[in-house]
Amino acid sequence: MKLYCLSGHPTLPCNVLKFKSTTIMLDCGLDTTSVLNFLPLPLVHRISPRLSKLPGWVSKDGSLNLEKELKECAGRVFVDSQPEFCLPERELLDLSTIDVILISNYHCMMALPYITEHTGFTGTVYATEPTLQIGRLLMEELVNFMERVPKAQSATCWKNKEIQRMLPGPLKDAVDVWTWKRCYSMQEVNSALSKVQLVGYSQKVELFGAVQVSPLSSGYSLGSSNWVIQSHHEKVSYVSGSSLLTTHPQPMDQSSLKNSDVLILTGLTQMPTANPDGMLGEFCSNLAMTIRAGGNVLVPCYSSGVIYDLLECLYQFIDSANLGTTPFYFISPVANSSLEFSQIFAEWLCHNKQTKVYLPEPPFPHAELIQTNKLKHYPSIHGDFSSEFRQPCVVFTGHPSLRFGDVVHFMELWGKSSLNTVIFTEPDFSYLDALAPYQPLAMKCVYCPIDTRLNFHQVSKLLKEVQPLHVVCPEQYTQPPLTQSHRSDLMLELQPPPMPYRRCSVLNLPFRRRYERVYILPELANSLVPSEVKPGVSVATVSAVLQSKDNKHTLQSVPKAPPVAPSKKRKRVMEEPPVTMAPKPLLSGAVPLEAFLATLQKHGITEVKVEETADGHILHLQAEDTLIQLEEDGTHIVCDNNEPLRATLRDLVLRFLQKL
Amino acid sequence: MDSQCVSILPRVCGVLLVSGSSLPDDTSLEKLLDWFTTIAQTGHSTSLLEACPCLVDFVSKVAFDYTSGSSILSFTLKLTGLIGASEDGFKVLKECSVLKLVFNPQHWQEAGLWEDPCLRIGWIQGLKMILKHSEALSFFAQADLIEPLLQLQTDSSLFVASAANQTLAQVLLLCQSPSSVGHNGSKNRDLEHNSASMETTQNYSGIITKVSDYLNKSVVLNQQILRLLAMLLVRVGPPLRDTLLLAVINSLEELVTTSCSQLTVPLLDVILAANRNSPNGLRDDCVPKQRLIRLLWVMLNMKKPVDVMQAAAAVLRSHQSDPALSAHSARVLLLPLDIVTGVSLLDENSTEEELRILITEQLKRKSCISMICVCLSNIPQITLMVSKASDCLPCPQRLIVTAILLLLRLCCVDSSSSSAGCVEVVRFITGNSKVQKCALEALLVLSKSPGVKMVLVEVFKVLTEYLNSHSSDPSVLQKSYQAVIKWVGVCPDLSCITDQLREGFIQAVRKRACDTRWEARDSTVEFLGHLVGAPSCWAFTEQEMEPSDVLLGGRSFTVPLLKEALQDPESYVRASSISALAQTLTPSWQDGTALTQEQEDIVTQLQEVLFQDSEGFARRAAVKYFIAWFSACSSPSSCWLLMQSVPTVLSQGVADLDWEVKLHTLELAELVLDRAFSDPSPSHPYAVMSDQDHRLPIAGQQSDLLSSLKNLVDWGVVSALLCGVVDCDRPVALKACQLLLKLRGIVCPVMDNTADTRVFCQLAGASVMQQVRKIQEMGKDTCVVSEACSEADKEGICASVDPECVSVCEVLRVLDLDEKLSILTQSSDHIYNSPLSLLQDILTAAAASSPPGQDPRQELVMDCY
Repeated sequence: MKLYCLSGHPTLPCNVLKFKSTTIMLDCGLDTTSVLNFLPLPLVHRISPRLSKLPGWVSKDGSLNLEKELKECAGRVFVDSQPEFCLPERELLDLSTIDVILISNYHCMMALPYITEHTGFTGTVYATEPTLQIGRLLMEELVNFMERVPKAQSATCWKNKEIQRMLPGPLKDAVDVWTWKRCYSMQEVNSALSKVQLVGYSQKVELFGAVQVSPLSSGYSLGSSNWVIQSHHEKVSYVSGSSLLTTHPQPMDQSSLKNSDVLILTGLTQMPTANPDGMLGEFCSNLAMTIRAGGNVLVPCYSSGVIYDLLECLYQFIDSANLGTTPFYFISPVANSSLEFSQIFAEWLCHNKQTKVYLPEPPFPHAELIQTNKLKHYPSIHGDFSSEFRQPCVVFTGHPSLRFGDVVHFMELWGKSSLNTVIFTEPDFSYLDALAPYQPLAMKCVYCPIDTRLNFHQVSKLLKEVQPLHVVCPEQYTQPPLTQSHRSDLMLELQPPPMPYRRCSVLNLPFRRRYERVYILPELANSLVPSEVKPGVSVATVSAVLQSKDNKHTLQSVPKAPPVAPSKKRKRVMEEPPVTMAPKPLLSGAVPLEAFLATLQKHGITEVKVEETADGHILHLQAEDTLIQLEEDGTHIVCDNNEPLRATLRDLVLRFLQKL
Repeated sequence: MDSQCVSILPRVCGVLLVSGSSLPDDTSLEKLLDWFTTIAQTGHSTSLLEACPCLVDFVSKVAFDYTSGSSILSFTLKLTGLIGASEDGFKVLKECSVLKLVFNPQHWQEAGLWEDPCLRIGWIQGLKMILKHSEALSFFAQADLIEPLLQLQTDSSLFVASAANQTLAQVLLLCQSPSSVGHNGSKNRDLEHNSASMETTQNYSGIITKVSDYLNKSVVLNQQILRLLAMLLVRVGPPLRDTLLLAVINSLEELVTTSCSQLTVPLLDVILAANRNSPNGLRDDCVPKQRLIRLLWVMLNMKKPVDVMQAAAAVLRSHQSDPALSAHSARVLLLPLDIVTGVSLLDENSTEEELRILITEQLKRKSCISMICVCLSNIPQITLMVSKASDCLPCPQRLIVTAILLLLRLCCVDSSSSSAGCVEVVRFITGNSKVQKCALEALLVLSKSPGVKMVLVEVFKVLTEYLNSHSSDPSVLQKSYQAVIKWVGVCPDLSCITDQLREGFIQAVRKRACDTRWEARDSTVEFLGHLVGAPSCWAFTEQEMEPSDVLLGGRSFTVPLLKEALQDPESYVRASSISALAQTLTPSWQDGTALTQEQEDIVTQLQEVLFQDSEGFARRAAVKYFIAWFSACSSPSSCWLLMQSVPTVLSQGVADLDWEVKLHTLELAELVLDRAFSDPSPSHPYAVMSDQDHRLPIAGQQSDLLSSLKNLVDWGVVSALLCGVVDCDRPVALKACQLLLKLRGIVCPVMDNTADTRVFCQLAGASVMQQVRKIQEMGKDTCVVSEACSEADKEGICASVDPECVSVCEVLRVLDLDEKLSILTQSSDHIYNSPLSLLQDILTAAAASSPPGQDPRQELVMDCY
C-alpha cells in the first residue's frame, strides 16, 4: 500500500492512495497562496489609478529590466499578470491511472479541472451534494473574478530560472513557478463536475469489488466528509477538515473511524492558538467599534462557509450593539445562490437547524436579515448596488486574497481612511502579505481568523478514542509552529509517532495485507466433511479450483473429467485429466510423552534417553541408534538403514494422532 | 419575661413530656432553647429557674423517664446544662439529684439510648454549658466524666466529635484558671478559697494527666486529634500548654518523619500553634523553641513538593519569628516562579537543588497549575516580609515583578514569548485563566513595592496585551483593569507611557466596550469610572494631570463611550455606565463648571431610564447619579438643570416598583431636605453673625422656614415623603417616616398653624391620599385637608377643589409618626417569632395531633389511605 503526496499544503491536500489494485485520489486542493505574488486585478481603473501607475521593476544595477512584468509597491515586487495557482504535483504518477477521486469538502476540490481535464483521467469523482453545489459556486466565482477583468498579456519572463534567481523578496523563493497555471474556464469546470457522482453520508460505494468507500460527516462545512476506505480485512480512514464545534453542519461522525489500520490526517486548524469563539467575539467588537466611530467595515471572505456563521452571529449581535440601521452588503457573483443553497440542504445541517425546517422556518437566520432589509446581496458592485450603497456599512466580499474580486475595489476605496477597518476572517492567507500591494494603508486592519477545524487538543483526544494503528499526516503537524517553537502542545505527539509526508513524498504504508476473503460455492460447501479437532473447531479438506475475477475469489468444484472421446487419430496425453490421487489424511493431535514411552517399552524398546528441548523432546533409542524428535508441530524419526524399525516407530506415533 | 409565657410554660412542659406528641416543626425545640438562653443571659440576678420554676420538675421527670423521644432527651440534657450554668441553678439541680443521673453516660447506655448521636450531642452540649464554674468542674472531676468525654473525641459522628473537642478545651481552660493562680502565687484570694482550690487542683491534675496521656497515644491516629491539639495549644495558657506539649512532642516528632500528605496541614497547624508562644529559654517543664523550629525545618525539607509548598505557605502566613525559617519558606514559594520563567529569583543554593529537581518534575504535569497558584497567591506574604527585614527576601521585588510579567506573557495565548525556564509547563498554563488571575492578583499587590515603578511600562504593555487578547476571560479582563488602576495610582509619573502605548491601550478599551460578552463590557465601563478616582499624576508634558486624561484623553473619550453604554442590552452594563458617568462628571460638578450640551443629553437619557428601563439595576443607578450630582454640587440651587430634574426624579423614583429605587429616591430627598435647612440665609452671604443673630426672632425664622418648606414642596420632597411613608415596602416606609419626623422636628416647633404660614402639598395619587388619611385616622380626627377641600370632602364631593392637597404642617402634626415609626422598626415577622407564638404553636400542634377521644394512629391510617 502506497501513498503519493501531491500537495504540501496541510489544509489543501491532494494525495493518492494505492490500495488493493485501486488508485484513489484523496481530495484535490488548490494552493491559491501563489496569487499573493501577483498584483490585484482592479475592477474599475478609474477608482484605482494607483495600481496602474505603480513603477515597473528594474534591478538595482539596471542589468535586468522587467518593467512590463513586475511592478513595485512599498518595497515589494508583484507580477503584473493574471494571477496563477500552484497546482498539485502532476509528474509523480500518471494521473490517467486514477480510478476515483474522493472529495471531502468544497474547499478541497478547487483543483479538480486541472486533474480531470487534459490528463486522460477516466475515473469517477465522489462527493456529497452540497459539496458539489457549493464547490461549483466557488469555482464559478473564481472564474468570474478572473474573466471579468481579462489581462491581455501573460508574464512569463520572470519565471526563467536565471532571472527568478535575481528577483527580490518572496518571488525569488517561490518554487516550481513553471508549473503555476492560470485559472480554468467555465467549460472545464462543467466538464470536471460532470464526472462527479453524488453520495450520501454512510453510503457504501464498491470499487471494483476490491474496496468499499464511504463518506462520514466531518462537521466542518455543509456536506463535508471524511472517508473510510475498507476491504474485508483492512481499513484506511481519511480525515480531512473536521470540526467538533457546534456550528451549522451535521456533527462529526467519530465512531465510524474506529479500528483503522491507517488514519490519514489532514486539514487541522491553521490557527491553533485562535479559539473560534474568541475570534467571533473579536470580529463583532471590532465591527461595532468601527461602525460607532462612523467607519466602514470590509470583510474579505469566501462566499460560503464561515460567512453563514458570521451572519448568524451578527444576527444576534446587531440589535444588542445598536447596529440596527447599519446596512450589511454581501457582494459576490454567487451571493444569491450561496445564501439560498444554504437554506435547502436541511438534511446536511446540524440537528438544531434541521428541526427548524419542520416548523417551518428557514434554518439560517440570514433569511430574516434579508427580509428585514438589513442584509442585501448583489452579484457585483456594478448595477443595483451603486444606487443603494450607503455608508457607514459592512461589506462581505471576496476574494480573501485581496487579489481579485470586488474586494479590490473596496480596498482602494476605503484604504485611505483610518476610520475604516478591514477584518480578515479567512485563515488561508497571511493578512500582511494580502495587504502588501495596498501599502501605504491608513485603514485599520484586524486579523480574526476563524478556523473551526480540529485543533491539536481535540485531535489527540479523537485519536485516543478511535485508536488507529498508524497515523499519516503532513510534516507540519509533527513539530510546533515556527513562530511558537516553545509550544510543544501545538503538534501531534503519538505513540508510535505519526508518519510525516511532504509534497512529492511516496510513503510505503506500514501494514501488510495478510488475509483475503475467499467465497466457496454452495455445492462445494455441501461436499465438505468437517471433523472436530477441538471443541468448536472443525476442519475439512477441500480440493477445488480457485477463480479470481473482479477482485473476488471463489472456490469452485473441480470439473469432472469429460468422458474421453474415442479418438484414434492422435493421442493427446496432455488433455487427459490429471490423475487425482486421494490426498493423504491430515494428522492432528499431540504425542503424549509418558504414554508413548510405555508403548515403546511394550514393543521392546527399553533403552530410551529423553532429552528436553525448547520445542519438545528428543528420544534417543540407544540400542537402535535412532532418534525421535517430538515437537509441537512435527515429529521426526531419524533412523538410518532400518526401514522396518522406522515403519514400526511411525505406526506407533500414528496411534496417538487423529486422522482427518 | 412575658407573664403570659410564664403561665403557658408548665402546659408546654407537660406536652413535651407526653411522649410521641408531635411538635410543630423540627426547629421548635431549638427555638425554645434559644429563648431560655436569652432569658438566662439577660436576666441579671434572676436565674432561669426563678423565671420558670417548672423547668426543674420537667428535667427530673424526663431524666427518670426513658420513653421520651431522643430529641426531647437531647433537649432536656441541653436545658439541664443551661440551668446548671448558673451556680444557683447548679445547686438546685444537685439537690434534687438530677445532675448525676442526667450526666451519667452509664445511665443512658443502660437504657440503650447512648447509641443515638442525638443524645450524645445533647450530653456534650449540656456538659459544655454547665462547665462555667468551679462547682461544675469539681462535679465533672468527681463523676469522672473525663473518660467518656475523651472517648467521644473521635466519635463516628463528626458533629459529636467536634462538640467534644470544644468541650474538652473548655474543661482544660477551667482547670487552668485555679492552677495558674497557684503558679503565679497570687495572694488575693482568701485562705479558705485557696485551700479549696488546692484540693481541686489535685483532682484536676488527674484530668490533665489523662488528657495528656490520651493525646500522646492517639495523636498519631488521625486528623481530628491533630485539630483538637492545635485548638488546645492556641487556647490554653502557658503552664498547661507546656504540659500538653511535653506530653505529645515525641509523638509529633515521630509523625513529622512519617507523615502522609493528608496530615501535613493539620500537623503544621499544631506545630505552628505550639511555636507561637513557646519560650526561648531552656526549662525542664516545657519544650524548647528550638525543638519546634527543628520540626518546621523537617517539614520544609520533605520529599513531596506539594507538601513542602503547603508547609512554606503556612509558615509564612503564621508570621512566626524565626527569620531563617521565613527566608527559606519564601525561597521555597518562589521556586516554581523561578523555574517556570527562568528569571533567577534565587541565587544558587545547594540545599534547594534537590527540591528544585522535584518541583521541576512536578511542573511538567497538569498539577503544575495549583502549584503555580500557591506560589502566586503567597506573594503578598513574601512582600510583607520586606517591612520586617528586607534581607530575608531572596531577591529585589522588581525581579519578582519581572518574573510575573514573563509568566503572564507565557500564559497569554497570543503571545509568542518564550522563557529560559521550564518549557513543558507552557502547554498547561497557556490560556489558563486561573493562573492568569492569580498572577494579576500578585501584580496588583506588587504595585506598592518600592523600586518597581521603573517597570511600569512593561506592566502597562502586558496589561494592554491582556486587554487586547481575544482569549482573555472576562474575569481576567476585570483583574487587568484593576491592575491598571492600581499601577497608575501608585505611579505619580506617567510620562513614560508613550503615544504608541496609549493608542494601543485606547484601542483595547474601545474594543472591550463593544465586546460580545456583557461581563467584559461591564468591567470596561466600570474601569472608566474608577480611573477618574485615581490620584493625579505627571504626564509627559510635565503637567499635573488626571490619569484618565493621560491614558484615555479624558472626558472627550470617556463620556461618548459611556453614553453608548447607556443603550446596552444588558441592565448591569447600563447601571455601571450610569455610575461611571457620575464618577466621571463628579470633578466638574465639584468645580461648578458650566453644563455642556452633552450633560443635558445625559440627564434626558437618565430620565428616560428612570421612566422606561425594565430593570431595577439601571433605575437604581440613575437615582444614585442624581444623588452623586446633588452631593457633589457646591450650590445645587444655582444649577438649574439639577433643580429641574430633582422633582421629576423624586416623583418618578418614589413610585417605582423596585424598593431599592424608592429607598435611593428617599436618600435624594434627604439630601435636598438637609440642604434646604442647613443653608445659612442666602440673602446675607457676608453678614457677620453674632450671637444675637443666631437667635433670630421667631418671625424671621418662620419666614425663612416657610420659604425653605415651600421650596421643598416645590421640589416634590414632601410629596415623595408622604408617598413613601405609606409604601408597602417596610424599609421605604421606615426611611420616609424618619425623614418626616426630621422635617417635623425642624418645622413644627417654629411654625404656628396660622393660615398665612400654611404650605400646601399636592399628593401624587388618590390612593396615597387615602392612605395618608388612614394614618391620620389612627391619630386624631382633625381635618388636615385644605380648608376649601375639607368642606367638600365632608360631603363626599371633591369636584371643584383639588382633593389631593394637604397642608404640610398639619399633616406632620396629625400623622402619628411616632407610632408609625415604632411599628416600622419592628421586623415584619416579630409576631411570628415571639416566644409566646412559639409556645402556642407547640400547644396547638400537640392538640391537633391528638384530638380527644381519637386514637392518633387511626388518623394516620386514614392519611395513608
